[in-house]
Amino acid sequence: MAYPSMLGFQDATSPIMEELLHFHDHAMIIVTLISSFVFYTITMMVITKLTYKSMLDSQEMEMVWTALPALILTMVALPSLRILYLMDELNFPNLTVKAVGHQWYWSYEYTDFEQLNFDSYMIPTQDLTPGQFRLLDTDNRMVVPVNSPIRVMVTADDVLHSWATPSLGIKLDAVPGRLNQTALMTSRPGVFYGQCSEICGANHSFMPIVVESIPLDHFEYWTHSMLNNA
Amino acid sequence: MSLPKPMMRGLLAKRTRIVLPMAFVSCGGLALFYKYVVGERRKRTYAEFYKNYDATKDFNAMREAGVFDSVQPSGK
Repeated sequence: MAYPSMLGFQDATSPIMEELLHFHDHAMIIVTLISSFVFYTITMMVITKLTYKSMLDSQEMEMVWTALPALILTMVALPSLRILYLMDELNFPNLTVKAVGHQWYWSYEYTDFEQLNFDSYMIPTQDLTPGQFRLLDTDNRMVVPVNSPIRVMVTADDVLHSWATPSLGIKLDAVPGRLNQTALMTSRPGVFYGQCSEICGANHSFMPIVVESIPLDHFEYWTHSMLNNA
Repeated sequence: MSLPKPMMRGLLAKRTRIVLPMAFVSCGGLALFYKYVVGERRKRTYAEFYKNYDATKDFNAMREAGVFDSVQPSGK
């Protein structure tokens, strides 16, 4: 999860987020290369007294500084498109969870099980118990089995929201009247936090998302207990 | 006694012939440094983490610490 003075991304918890991290490193290599080259060139041009006053045409230079950026852009675009299409793949999900955004809470529907629905409200600061995180913890968490492909469908009941969990590499807009879909797979058990990422009113900052990833046998036990308590 | 004729042309070109390759080499070196020190290191870190990762042991440790809401520690 996020921590104070954090600079980079959160640790990846899904294969897609790992791919995104590696792509970001790749893009940063190219950005570092271009920025340092431009900085070096400009510095060299500024600190010299030498000039060439007869410069006309320069077909070779024009060719180079057209072709080289095109090549660099291709080097960025190809891995980017690869990840874009990877994120769209849905490999035979074992479970479907619907996340519905409301003002100002999320509700989760596990329609694979008869009546497993619940709301997820942020725990107010004054009600926090030791060990809970301010503005991040919720009363009910979205529980999923670890290492299982899951289909998450996101929509909204009123205004635009966005269901985002940085460590899973997911950000999906919740649009009223529309069902957006993404694939989710957690690589390890744990608790993963996110926050609403589309301005939705006064309490936009106070409707967090908590995903709890547990082994399948415990997940089944949890679904039974939730259905019995419903 | 006459002085040798000074070099009067091609000064910028001579400088550029040195500066431009230095730019490519130093910036390329910086990019390679970033690639191996940051990029490849991160890939190695993730690969090593998951090589001997025991999800069950990790889960049990988190469970006993009371991290989860859906699963209580084994004593309760």
